[in-house]
Amino acid sequence: MSFSTRRRVDLLPYALVTPLTLFIVGLALVPAGYTIVASFFRVQELNPPTTFSGLDNFRRLFGDEAVRSSMGNTALYVLVGVTLSTVLAIGMAVALQHRFAGRSILIAVLILPWALPGVVEGIVWSSIWDSNTGLLNSLLSSVHLIDHYQVFLGQNQLLTILAIELVQVWQITPLSVLLVLAALQNIPGDLYEAAKLDGCSSWSVFRWVTLPLARPGITIAMVQAVIVTLNVFDQPYVLNGAASTGASLTMQTYFISFQNLDFGEGYALSLLITLVTLLVSFGVFKLVYRPVEF
Amino acid sequence: MTSMRNHTRGAVLVTGVATLSLIVAGCSGGGGGSAASTQTKGVTITVALAIEPPPRAALDAFTKSTGITVKWTNVDWDSLQTKISAAATAKTYFADATDVDWSRVGQLGKLDWFYPMENYVDTKAMAADMPQLNSFTSNSHVVGIPYDASFMVTTVNKALFAKAGITTLPTTMDAYTKDLQQIKAKGVVQYPLNIPFAAAEGLSTYWYQTTAAFGGTILDGKGKPQFATPDSAGYKAAQWMTDALKTGLVPPGNINVSDSQGQQTLMAKGSVASTFSDYSGNVGSLYDLPASSSVVNQVTYLPTPGVNGAGPNLSNPDGIGIPRQAKYPAAAAKFIEWFTTAQNQSDFAGASGPDKVMPGFFIPSRMTGLSELTSKGKLIEGAQLGNLLKGSAPVFPEGAPAWYPQFSHAVYTNLHAAATGSMSVADAVKAIADTATKLSNGS
Amino acid sequence: MKRNSPWLRRMGVLFLLVWSLVPLYWVLNISLQTDAQISAKPANYLPPTPSLSNYLALISGTGELPDAIRRSMVNISVECGVATVVTVLLSTLAAYAFARMTFRGRRILFYSVLATMAFPAYTTLIPLYRIMTFFGLVNTYTGIILVYVSGFLPLATWIMYNYMSSLPISIEEAAQVDGASRMKVLWHVVLPLARPGIISTAVITFLFAWGQFLFPLVLSSDLSTQPLTVVIAALQGRHTVPFSLLSAAGVFAMGVPALIAVTLNRYIVSGLLTGSVK
Repeated sequence: MSFSTRRRVDLLPYALVTPLTLFIVGLALVPAGYTIVASFFRVQELNPPTTFSGLDNFRRLFGDEAVRSSMGNTALYVLVGVTLSTVLAIGMAVALQHRFAGRSILIAVLILPWALPGVVEGIVWSSIWDSNTGLLNSLLSSVHLIDHYQVFLGQNQLLTILAIELVQVWQITPLSVLLVLAALQNIPGDLYEAAKLDGCSSWSVFRWVTLPLARPGITIAMVQAVIVTLNVFDQPYVLNGAASTGASLTMQTYFISFQNLDFGEGYALSLLITLVTLLVSFGVFKLVYRPVEF
Repeated sequence: MTSMRNHTRGAVLVTGVATLSLIVAGCSGGGGGSAASTQTKGVTITVALAIEPPPRAALDAFTKSTGITVKWTNVDWDSLQTKISAAATAKTYFADATDVDWSRVGQLGKLDWFYPMENYVDTKAMAADMPQLNSFTSNSHVVGIPYDASFMVTTVNKALFAKAGITTLPTTMDAYTKDLQQIKAKGVVQYPLNIPFAAAEGLSTYWYQTTAAFGGTILDGKGKPQFATPDSAGYKAAQWMTDALKTGLVPPGNINVSDSQGQQTLMAKGSVASTFSDYSGNVGSLYDLPASSSVVNQVTYLPTPGVNGAGPNLSNPDGIGIPRQAKYPAAAAKFIEWFTTAQNQSDFAGASGPDKVMPGFFIPSRMTGLSELTSKGKLIEGAQLGNLLKGSAPVFPEGAPAWYPQFSHAVYTNLHAAATGSMSVADAVKAIADTATKLSNGS
Repeated sequence: MKRNSPWLRRMGVLFLLVWSLVPLYWVLNISLQTDAQISAKPANYLPPTPSLSNYLALISGTGELPDAIRRSMVNISVECGVATVVTVLLSTLAAYAFARMTFRGRRILFYSVLATMAFPAYTTLIPLYRIMTFFGLVNTYTGIILVYVSGFLPLATWIMYNYMSSLPISIEEAAQVDGASRMKVLWHVVLPLARPGIISTAVITFLFAWGQFLFPLVLSSDLSTQPLTVVIAALQGRHTVPFSLLSAAGVFAMGVPALIAVTLNRYIVSGLLTGSVK
């Protein structure tokens, strides 16, 4: 009796995970596999027969000036984005660390940039950076810091990248704050008590107690920042269009596939981006993570 | 015990059915490849173009006489081109009639993404009345019908020029440049020239027109670049454009301004005195409309200043064609025929009053439409435009190459980079030339 | 610690408020002005004559733009709503299996699901597009919903798994001892307990879906399926749309997620932090 019951019950878990499995296999693993395989083929609309071409797509990618410059841009996006969002997140998490009146409202406000569509945020920020009617220009000239309106987007490459990335930082920092905050709240209060009793300054406490013990949270925050900054598309697309000054790698994938109609190269670039994402994430993890136990 | 088994079996059954139905829905859903229909009565077609629709009354009249209902979609030009490519490569339907841009004729023809129009309308008869029809032929098929006669013109704000003491308008490039400098020096406007340096198609066409003014062409019949050497027209044009920005003739913010943006926010507001490569019809449809312009009656067309006198005006007509995945190609053809009649074209351009105007419609592609408009005195500067149209020439005499989009991308990104100063003009021109060489060699 | 901290904290709080709210205030400000007013130099920090005309232009009346906005509102609501329901359903079922049952392949399946989260979504964009083409699902609600679900299932499963793992198993065991089948336990005991987790998953999935841009840009070619985000981004590309109208459209697109984020922020926070808090 118990034999047959146990065997019948065994079907249930499979039934429960089947839909999930179908989705993951069909719409995630298969496309990913397709990308990997097809990147070694020449798939061009303007040059019909699909033939095996080995590393040709990759070679052409590295020879493409536009792709190379977008690699540089994207590297800057990652550097600026991860650094800025992590520093801000740590700062804001520390400010929110201890309970105080109105803290929950503050957290609700904090989440807003994360919850809003990235494309719309591009529009919001373009009205801040605009060189004719933008908020920043207006403020700076109201306090007489500048005498004529500046061009923030498009002229100077570093400034353009900074301006664009700031918009993405605005969007991703809330999640980082929450992750670091959660890690901070895991730190038992008596460690702080002990430090205070020992006469440590608040900076020392931060440097030697808070920061190291928050490493797991900081790691996750940094890894998620790496992933989204490396794949940035919405913000540069909306704020600076196709210009090579700020074009990101993902934008290049889009142009190569849908403008040049060279899907093989598109797959190859997608594959490269994924590999780099995995590598850099792993690198960050190794550098920053330390297991923490209380 | 029994209830346990039944419940479990029940659960498995439910989940299995749910999963199966998802798969079936996936397979059967969507509008797959339904065969194109020759039906014309009682159908609804989708028309996707980068302009606003004609007046409701006109479309209703069309529906009344043909039984075809028109669903209009206005998509911005760049997105529309991407959509056309995406839908064609995926072999999915997205419209029955859509934009065929002069620059895409080569690509579209080669890829056979559109029905040959000669199978649906009498293109031979049209050819006499539509001078630009031959730019829409590729591989001896007519890919689309031009519905307007858009071409690049130079516009100047007479009032601003007069304020700077310029009484005779310039006829050569040198005189033009000097006049702009004079306008700036006299403080009439701080930045007198509008060049849209945003990395978009408008920058490419601006460069083509400027190259023509300097007396040269962009590509030869085989697609080889004609602008690679410093003494070539294209090189000089690129140099002239970037110098204009560097010497303060062009507003610095223009680095991010597109063609239509510059026309609407700068030229139409009197912030600049001239646009060297503007679009025909803008005086009537933009600069002289009080709703959108602060410079009504101040802007006029100028024969494009060239090296020794007037330069040519390059044509960039917009066309309409039937994608291969159209559901109702016959109905779409009827619409195209109606859309491009001389009467409708002149009405859209304002011949019969503001009620029948189609916003953003430039000038008719049919000579008969144009003369109707001019005779009614409704084409602002009609005589002037007529003359310019007669002298208009295609950008690529042999037609746009199939790899045009990629080439244009190289043009506008490199020229933009030269304008920001991150690249020298020499390097930018070389990059564009190399791209053209590579693409024309078929790699 | 006692003296510096409150001052420092106040600075941090102020920065946080300014940082999060000023951009949103600014776009609201512009949306209440006319095209002429926004060209003022310096800009109007408060709308001189606040007017809802931009919003009215967007939603009421006939004309191509209001039609597009209304239609795409319907589209985005359907697509996000259905995708959320399906995602929550499937992830809850699977998460229960992972959390409470043992079966062959459990580990490998679980890690595979998590691994797909590491793959940036855009990698699979083109093949997904071709798969959808093959099944004729481009520009259909079904196609877009399927893609959304596949994209959000891993995170949803992760959140539900953590949540369910944290539920005290004793209640379930008690119910089973009482003779309830596993499905009954799931339905009557676990689900009610997991309600907060389900709400978290639903809210987060919905917000992610609402913010999608590149996927619907590629997968939906016309207004029958285009979500609000794509329509609004296209407005920006048109350049004949004045900034004031564009800003109103932006505020419009942000309305729903902003409302959700503010009222349900508790669930969002606990959902996002699942697994991080011991």
